[in-house]
Amino acid sequence: MVTEEKIGNNIPLDGAEGHVTGTSEYVSDISKIENELIVDFFYSTEPHGEIINIDLEEARKISGIVGLYTYKDIEGENKFGPIIKDEVLLAESILEYVGQPIVIIAGESKKAIKLAKKTIKIEIKKLPHILSIEEAIEKNQFIGETRVIERGDIEKEFQKAEYILEGNTRNGGQEHFYLESQAAIAYPQENNTLEIISSTQNPTEVQNVIAEILGIPFNKIVVKTRRMGGAFGGKETQATHPAAMAALVAMKTKRPARIVLSCDDDMITTGKRHEFYNKYKVAFTKEGLITALKVEFFSNGGYSNDLSTSIRERAMFHAENAYFIPNIKTIGKVCKTNLPSNTAFRGFGGPQGMLNIESIIEDIAIFLKIDAFDIRRLNCFGIEKNNTTSYEQEVSNNTLPELMDKLLKTSNYKERHKQIEEYNKNSTLYLKGISFTLVMFGISFTARFMNQASALVNIYTDGSIQVSTGGTEMGQGLNTKISQIVADEFCVEPKTVRMMITSTEKNNNTSPSAASASTDLNGTAAKDACQKIKTRLIEFASNYLVKDNSEHKPSINAIEWTYDGIYDKRISNKKITFKELVKNAYLNRISLGERGFYATPQITLFDWNTGRGKPFLYFTNGAAVSEVRIDRFTGELKVLRTDILMDIGKSINPGIDKGQIIGGFIQGMGWLTTEELKYSEKGELLSHSPTTYKIPNIQDIPEVLNVDWIENGKNVVNIRQSKAVGEPPLMTSISVWTAVKHALSFISNGEIPKLDAPATSEEILKAMSRFPISMKV
Amino acid sequence: MYINTTSFKTVYYLNNNYMKNHIELCINGETHHAYGEDAFLPLSDYLRTKLHLVGTKEVCIEGDCGACTTLLGRLKNEKFYYETIDSCISYVYQLNNCHVVTVEGIKNSKLNSVQESMITSHGAQCGYCTPGIVVSLYSFFNSCSKKTCTKSDIQDALTGNLCRCTGYETIVEAGLTLDNNSIEKLSDIYSEDKLLAILGKETKENIEINTNDYVFYQPVTLKEALKLKNENPDTKILAGGTDLHVMCNKRDFSLKKILYVSNLKELKSIEVKDNHITIGAAVTLSEFEQSVSEYYTDLKEFLNLFASPQIKNIGTLVGNIANASPIGDTLPFLLVMDSELELESVNGKRKVNMNNFYKGYKSLAMESNEIITHVNIPLLKKDEILKLYKVSKRKHLDISSFSAAIRMKEKNGIIESFIIAFGGVGPTVQRIYEIESYLTGKRLCEDILNEAAQMIENIIKPISDVRGHKEYRLQLAKNILKKFYFELLESDKKKVLA
Ligand SMILES: Cc1cc2nc3c(=O)[nH]c(=O)nc-3n(C[C@H](O)[C@H](O)[C@H](O)COP(=O)(O)OP(=O)(O)OC[C@H]3O[C@@H](n4cnc5c(N)ncnc54)[C@H](O)[C@@H]3O)c2cc1C
Ligand code: FES
Ligand code: FES
Repeated sequence: MVTEEKIGNNIPLDGAEGHVTGTSEYVSDISKIENELIVDFFYSTEPHGEIINIDLEEARKISGIVGLYTYKDIEGENKFGPIIKDEVLLAESILEYVGQPIVIIAGESKKAIKLAKKTIKIEIKKLPHILSIEEAIEKNQFIGETRVIERGDIEKEFQKAEYILEGNTRNGGQEHFYLESQAAIAYPQENNTLEIISSTQNPTEVQNVIAEILGIPFNKIVVKTRRMGGAFGGKETQATHPAAMAALVAMKTKRPARIVLSCDDDMITTGKRHEFYNKYKVAFTKEGLITALKVEFFSNGGYSNDLSTSIRERAMFHAENAYFIPNIKTIGKVCKTNLPSNTAFRGFGGPQGMLNIESIIEDIAIFLKIDAFDIRRLNCFGIEKNNTTSYEQEVSNNTLPELMDKLLKTSNYKERHKQIEEYNKNSTLYLKGISFTLVMFGISFTARFMNQASALVNIYTDGSIQVSTGGTEMGQGLNTKISQIVADEFCVEPKTVRMMITSTEKNNNTSPSAASASTDLNGTAAKDACQKIKTRLIEFASNYLVKDNSEHKPSINAIEWTYDGIYDKRISNKKITFKELVKNAYLNRISLGERGFYATPQITLFDWNTGRGKPFLYFTNGAAVSEVRIDRFTGELKVLRTDILMDIGKSINPGIDKGQIIGGFIQGMGWLTTEELKYSEKGELLSHSPTTYKIPNIQDIPEVLNVDWIENGKNVVNIRQSKAVGEPPLMTSISVWTAVKHALSFISNGEIPKLDAPATSEEILKAMSRFPISMKV
Repeated sequence: MYINTTSFKTVYYLNNNYMKNHIELCINGETHHAYGEDAFLPLSDYLRTKLHLVGTKEVCIEGDCGACTTLLGRLKNEKFYYETIDSCISYVYQLNNCHVVTVEGIKNSKLNSVQESMITSHGAQCGYCTPGIVVSLYSFFNSCSKKTCTKSDIQDALTGNLCRCTGYETIVEAGLTLDNNSIEKLSDIYSEDKLLAILGKETKENIEINTNDYVFYQPVTLKEALKLKNENPDTKILAGGTDLHVMCNKRDFSLKKILYVSNLKELKSIEVKDNHITIGAAVTLSEFEQSVSEYYTDLKEFLNLFASPQIKNIGTLVGNIANASPIGDTLPFLLVMDSELELESVNGKRKVNMNNFYKGYKSLAMESNEIITHVNIPLLKKDEILKLYKVSKRKHLDISSFSAAIRMKEKNGIIESFIIAFGGVGPTVQRIYEIESYLTGKRLCEDILNEAAQMIENIIKPISDVRGHKEYRLQLAKNILKKFYFELLESDKKKVLA
């Protein structure tokens, strides 16, 4: 019925005009209410210890200090957690990391709060602490159960293998570095209820946790989220803590209370992407065909679980990435350490899992002296056969071979590979490297119940539309895409669709905007609501359009709904506009509002006893080639060129999707190159601001960056045949890191160079100095 | 001698007919008077909390992200010149007679073309960095006469603006598609005459602002400044504030008494004489970069790595010198060039060679009543080679892990003189005299430089910190000599080929 699709159009981001003029409102921009309080907290400076005494005497005397609250002031439950209830809002008797909140401070001014912090005295009996994965392994400190996925018989394969490599890989954590730090405002309202404005990906969890902490029913709390100034997973679970602090203060004082973490405190006290340490053993043939792989993943979970166990599971789901490995065993453990609880970050364990296997393949290539591309091509999932994952989900509609073959050509990989060999023979100052990596990222929350969403669509009598979903906007373009979907359902311009603030009173029990799936889920729910309204409107139109016409009986099948208007195809000269239609429908008492719902079909509950299931609805794929140059004397790295080719199905908004691809790539590149978390021996984060924590700068983008995607209309399982695009591109950045390895292989005399992530200049120089510089001039 | 401010104030009054007790500035064309504590606020805080101009964001409040970028219009020869600054580390008291333009003020009723281009190119995602990016990009076009720009123009204009979402590429595209002629300039938006009428009065007034906790002095002449410094030796000299204000914002540090020197006319000169260049203490790093870098090979590229436009537009060269950081980036260069400082107090002037200026960690060969007025940098001789190195975790907008400067004269393969200084390997930036004397008179070849590199191990004692381990720094110090050598070879090769 549709004549002119709004899907696939490059319309500007919803809210872009506000962004460029500085009028988009974030939590800290909201005008202050007269009696509003500032909320902050006093945190632990010890990584592990027992609280002997908390002295708040002096602090209470400071003028401008309105409240000081410890866990004793919590009337509901201090314990919570998205998977395991092992977190506390405020420390009770044991301190478990530097940065752990102990006292909430509410004050009239920043000055008073600063003073109060200086006077609070906590007596602590120090306890031994653990920071590293190795120590946790040694002391047997783990969170949750060990997970195993196994297929085939690795031991048998290892026995008869042609070649075996054993080793380990390591990646550092990553700070989200959303520019808007964690922030929330709590407004007390009548009858002991609260309205919360929170910068969160997960309004429902904020609502639930606050209610539990306050000991009141969920329905007494409304949480609203207009937008976030970046989140990347960092506001999936950890936006709850600051919001709960503001809520507690608002409830106690009956005054509005706002908390906005400083950039430094945010970095010091909140969780990050997980550091991983992995042991592996791999068997392969002389052609580079991988026959068996054993990987043991150890992630650094921090002091509590948060989402660590799930993140570890996704690392395991992606342990083989895009490659078919017949005999495989992956084991995953989460280490408990005295650090802030690590949390979701774009990719959710996927990047760590993939980095490991891509590193292994690079090593095999160096070992066998074969181009790593050929090894990847050889092992890549097949179309007809060799197309099941280690947990035996079928890789259907596999576009990986197509991506590989196309990008091989467009990137001119083979030719450049040769040129680099030549270059390195003659260059005294620099080494170059090139690498081609793949991404196959499963889409859906791996916790099955989370794959549901609701949407509310309201049409007004002038034809304008409001849409509310449980999805939250953080710059990823969710609202824009939903407005396109809704506009297209009704054949109207996207600008007639207004995306409303996300609110738990409009949409209840929502899932976080995460797992790349928020358009898939909320967009489909919105479509469902539209279709329900449309059904009514079509029925109404079928009567309305023939009402003065005795020739035709009303027929819903005769109704054409187009961008030019709605008409009965038997009387095509009588067209009415959408506006006329809804106006008249209203006058005839037809409901113009609807709630839609969606639950992802096909996926199954994963059975961890057998290590089998279908956790993903489909896979988003990608391939990337990066060429790098390293300075032989300083280890400094420059990314010269990157080519990325993705399969994102049919794009709903190419401009937004391109932005996601590039943004993800650069963010991943930061993780693997310049972003280094440095801690003191006590576990204090030393790199806690952009002065010392270096995310990519505009000067760091590759000199040449080519981004493209293939035409793929086969992904019929998802909304408008699109594919999720939020996380997968991040992992294209692995090509940068493996390219460094490739560069190093030119001086390693056949040895496999040892390189950890991030490949900082220091790490690269260290890797180079393991091999004596032999320069032919 | 300590004079408390109240009694001091009377003395000051007697000597001056008129004294101003507030800061007068324009913001988006409107006049504002900042009295008392308001004058002691960071500009970003003033904009956000006093004027509710919340388009200017605060993220790091230490000059490293650019979310708070605003335009600062300063009067030069009856005209306003606008440059970007980080408003989080520029305090209101620095802005007398300035015109501040925020993201809210860079357009008339409709969007300017930079904003439109950012929208159509998808240059904004979450939007938090966007106001700062838009201001920086707009500033580039506002003050440049080129019709269109290149990728590296945009990169250089936006070095000081971090974005976590976009990966920058779409922002670059937004810039590349712009035609400068279509962009409305600030001089079209704000009537220069009107601004001149408010801010153009020749400042003959000394400014002194007192609160219970702080006092700020802005004298009109160097003479008065020296007098003030003499009577109040505990007064902190303030120039751009890019070092001092970071400490105020981030550490438990406050500037109780401030003597602002950046508007002193006597300190604004840049003079190129026969054999040296003289830079005044009020000369910003941007001015220095634009007017001086061509005289020294490598300096242009080196200064391109120094901080960001926002920092260089207000930070000074002399501030970098007086801050005495062991990783002050201009210092190795200034040391190998044998630069000389001019110091002045009520007792007169004197000159100090910079190689004798640093006594220990942040300790200077300078009296508490003195002010650095100028720095003299000898010009490079025709037959000398100068190489400058900066190694940092991130190439741009990062503090050095290690830095070095080498100045060499070679004739017929023999090193006639070799001068080398390192940053980041000890409590001060330091010359490595042992290496210098070892290499002087030797043949310029790989083995000799390798030997020199081996010596370094026993000379420097770097420490480990957040920017690198000591082993790394040591390795860099050794490698830099080799790098220097191989770079010479490469450029010789190129010469031969040419
Ligand atoms: C984000 C950021 C990035 C930076 N990047 C770099 C970098 O790449 N490389 C680098 O070297 N530095 C860098 N810096 C540090 C700083 O910008 C420089 O040191 C700058 O030169 C300081 O100049 P200023 O005018 O702002 O100094 P101020 O902060 O005003 O003063 C610095 C010190 O100098 C003293 N002083 C100033 N003028 C005089 C005078 N005339 N006589 C005597 N004493 C005086 C002051 O009392 C103070 O102790 C960076 C800073 C920031 C915030
Ligand atoms: S807030 Fe980061 S530079 Fe000002
Ligand atoms: S758009 Fe989010 S930080 Fe730039």
